[in-house]
Amino acid sequence: MLCSVCTAPVCTNAQVGCHAVSLNNLFDRIIQHSAKMHRVSNDLHQQFELHVLPSRNQVGRGGHICHTSTIMTPNGKENAQRMAREGLTQVILQLLMAWTDPLMNLHHSSTNVSVDMSSMVGELRRGVQRLAEKMHTLGLLTDPDSSVVSPEALMTSHPVPWRLMNLYDILYCFRRDSNKVHNYLRILKCRIVPEHGC
Amino acid sequence: MDRIIATAEALWRMMRRIAEILLLLHWFNLLSVEGTRYSLPGKPTLTRCRSPEKETFTCWWEPSFDGGLSTTYALYYCKENSDTVHECPDYHTAGVNSCFFNKNNTSIWVNYNITVVATNALGSTFSDPVEIDVVYIVMPHPPENVGVTVLEDKGWPFLRLSWEPPHKVDTRSGWITLIYELRVKLEEETEWEMHLAGQQKMFNIFSLRSGGTYLVQVRCKPDHGFWSEWSSTTSIKVPDYFQRERSVWVMIMVSSAFIFLIITWLIHINSHSLKHYILPPVPGPKIKGFDKQFMKDGKSEGFFCDLVSIHFPATTTPNDEDLLVEYLEVCVPEEQELKMEDKGEDGCPKSESSTSDCDSGRGSCDSQTLLIDKCFKRVAPGLDIECSQTGTGANEIQDSPDVSSGRVKTWPSVYSPLSQHPVDLMHSLDKSKQHCLSDTLFPSDSSCPYHSHPDHSTNDNPDSTYWKFCFNNKQRLLLRPQMETQWQPHAYSEVNISATVRSSDYVEAHNISDENTVVLHSVSSSHDDREGTGYKYQGEDYSHVQRVGSDNVLMLQRGLMKEPVDTGFCKNQQANRAAGTSDTSPITRNQKPTVCNETTLSVNGPAANGYVDTATMFIKPTQD
Repeated sequence: MLCSVCTAPVCTNAQVGCHAVSLNNLFDRIIQHSAKMHRVSNDLHQQFELHVLPSRNQVGRGGHICHTSTIMTPNGKENAQRMAREGLTQVILQLLMAWTDPLMNLHHSSTNVSVDMSSMVGELRRGVQRLAEKMHTLGLLTDPDSSVVSPEALMTSHPVPWRLMNLYDILYCFRRDSNKVHNYLRILKCRIVPEHGC
Repeated sequence: MDRIIATAEALWRMMRRIAEILLLLHWFNLLSVEGTRYSLPGKPTLTRCRSPEKETFTCWWEPSFDGGLSTTYALYYCKENSDTVHECPDYHTAGVNSCFFNKNNTSIWVNYNITVVATNALGSTFSDPVEIDVVYIVMPHPPENVGVTVLEDKGWPFLRLSWEPPHKVDTRSGWITLIYELRVKLEEETEWEMHLAGQQKMFNIFSLRSGGTYLVQVRCKPDHGFWSEWSSTTSIKVPDYFQRERSVWVMIMVSSAFIFLIITWLIHINSHSLKHYILPPVPGPKIKGFDKQFMKDGKSEGFFCDLVSIHFPATTTPNDEDLLVEYLEVCVPEEQELKMEDKGEDGCPKSESSTSDCDSGRGSCDSQTLLIDKCFKRVAPGLDIECSQTGTGANEIQDSPDVSSGRVKTWPSVYSPLSQHPVDLMHSLDKSKQHCLSDTLFPSDSSCPYHSHPDHSTNDNPDSTYWKFCFNNKQRLLLRPQMETQWQPHAYSEVNISATVRSSDYVEAHNISDENTVVLHSVSSSHDDREGTGYKYQGEDYSHVQRVGSDNVLMLQRGLMKEPVDTGFCKNQQANRAAGTSDTSPITRNQKPTVCNETTLSVNGPAANGYVDTATMFIKPTQD
C-alpha cells in the first residue's frame, strides 16, 4: 500500500515553471491547516462554555443535533480503516462543504464569534480538493464511484437545516467535525504516505 | 366489697395499659434506632472516564453511604440522540466501581450520557449524569521501552533517550498522534528538567556532569487529551570523562604557579643586580688623568699643569672633544681692580658707579649680552691695555664702549653655542665659591709652560692675538680674551661653533707693566689657521677666566678644563655641553681636561672656547 510515486512531483497542466508540490508535502500542509482549524473551534467552544453557558440554566449538554449527522462518517478506528481512500476523501469533503455556509453566517450574525472560520474551512476544502485531484492523477483514487463528488450533490443531503441550530450547537458540532476531518486526514496520510510521523 | 373489686380491676387494667404503652414506647424506641441505618443509598458520583487508546474507555464512580443495606451500583448510559438505555457491559475488568466499555460498545464522536445508580432495599439513588465524548477523554499509557545511552560528541558526552509509544496506542495508522515530554534530573537533585520532544521518539541531552547519575522519565499526550503518567524512572550513570582532563589541567596550573613563585623569589633575591643590569647607573664623570686623591692631597701644582694642557686656540678639529670652552666673564672694577664680585645677582663691585644694573662681571646677569658688555666696559677703562697689533681694538676697548660692547656682544654668541646658559653659568659661578688655583697651581715660575709669567710679558707668541693674563694671589692677571684681530664684533657675532673656528682672535699680553697694565699683543690669526693647523699656540693651553671671585680670585677655565667651583657649575657645564653642538667631544687628558670633578667637559670645537676679556684671574685650586 505504500505509494512509491507519491514523492515524485507532478505538474498538471504542463505549466511553465510549475512548482510541483509533493504529495507528502501537500498532506503535511493540509494536516497542519486542519489542526489549526480544530484548535480554533475548540477554543471557541471552551470560551462559550466558560462565559456564556453558566448564565443559562442548562444542565448538561444533551440534545445536540448537528446538521452533519446524516453524513456517514466512520465512528471508530476499524470503521475508518475499513473505509477506502476515496470514501474518506469524500467524507472529508462533505464535511468541509457542509460547514462553509453556517460558519459564514455565524461570523456575520453573531457578535460573540469574531473569528471567521468559514475562510479556514474554505481553504481547507480547496486544499483537500487539490489533494484529491493529485491522488487521482497519481492513480491512487481508483474507484470511479467514489470520485470527487460535486459540491451540489453534497449539499442536498442535509435533513436538518443549520439555521435552526443555536450558537452553542454550532460551536459544539463544528468542534467535533473539525476533529473528524483532522483525524480522517491523518488516517489518509498514514495510509498513502506513511514515511513521516506515522 | 364489689366496689373495691371493681376499683382493683380498673387499676389493674390501667396498669396493664401503662405497661403496654411503656412496652410499646420502648419497642418503638428500639425500632426507631434501628430504622436510621436503613435508608436510600447515597448519591454516587462519576469520578472520571478515561480512554487509553481512543477505542475503549472506562468510567469510575465513587459510592456514597449505602444506607445500612446492601447497595448495588449500576451504570446506565445512553448514546447521543438515542433514547435506548444501555447498561454497563463490564463491571469487573477495570476494577471496583468501574465500568469498562470495550471496542464494540465504544463509539467515537458520539456523546455518551452516563449515569450511575445506587440501589438498596429501600430504593435507588441516581447520580448526576455525565456527558462524555471519547475523543476528549483520551489518556494514554506511559511510553514504553525508555532507553538511555551515553554517547560522545567530539569528546563531550551526551545522553540519548529513546522510547516507544504505549503498545495500545495506534499511531501507525494515524489514529492517534502523540506528543512526548521528558524530564531529567541528577540523582541528588530535587528539581526536574523538562523537555518537550514533540512527536519524535528520540531526544538528546547535553551538558552533563561527568560522573553523575541521571534519572529520566517520559510521558505522552494525544492532540487533545490528557497527559499520561510518567514512565518508570530510568537511571544512567555518566562515566567520568573529564576526570583525566581536569587532573591534567590542575597539575598544569599548580606547576605553573609553583614556577611563578620560584621566579618571583629569584627576582626578589637578585633584585639589586637585576636593577643594575637593566638600568645601569649613570657613570660618574671620569676625567682622564684626573685623580681625585691627587687633588685632595693638594699637590696640585703639577697636576694642574698637567691638566691645563690646552691648545688654544683649538687646533684640533671642531669635533675635538677636548675643547671645552666655557663661558667666562671677567669684570674689572673701576678701580682697575679686577675682581669678580660675587655679590649674588650683582657680580659687580659696588663701587662701580654704573647706574645700570651693574651686571658687569657677574655671572648672574640676566642679560648675557650686557653681561660682558658692562664688564668689558669696565674692564676697558680700567685697564690700560695696550695692544700693539690691535691698537684700534684696544682703542675700541677704551674709547668705544659701544664697540667694545659690540665686541663683547659677540662673545656671548661665541659662548652661546657652547654654553647656552651663560647667564646661568655666571650665576653659578658667582654664587659658588671661587676656586682659584693656588699659586702653586699657577706658579710664576711657570712650571706651566703656557702660563704667562706674571711679572713679565707672557710667553705668548706674538702671533697670538689673545691676551693672556696670569693672575694669582699676587694679583697677576691672566686673561685670555678671545677676540678677533680687529676686535670687530661682527667677527664673532655669527660664530657657529660647530662650524669653523673663526671667532677666536687673541690678544696676547706680552707683559704686564704694572699690576694694572697689561700689554696686549694681538695675535693675528685667521680663521683658517684656526682650523686646526696654523695655530702656533697649539701647544699652549689657555685658561679661561670664568669669573672673578670676591677675593680677587679669578676662576680660570681652561678650554677644556673647568674648575669645578661647585656642583652647580659643573652641572651647568655639563648642561652647556649637552646643549652645545654636536661637536662636543670628550675631554682627553692630553688636550683639555677639565678640573671639574663632576663632569667631563667637552669642547665644542675650537670656536667654542670662551674667553674672557681682561680680568684679574685668580686660579684657585680646585675643590672637590
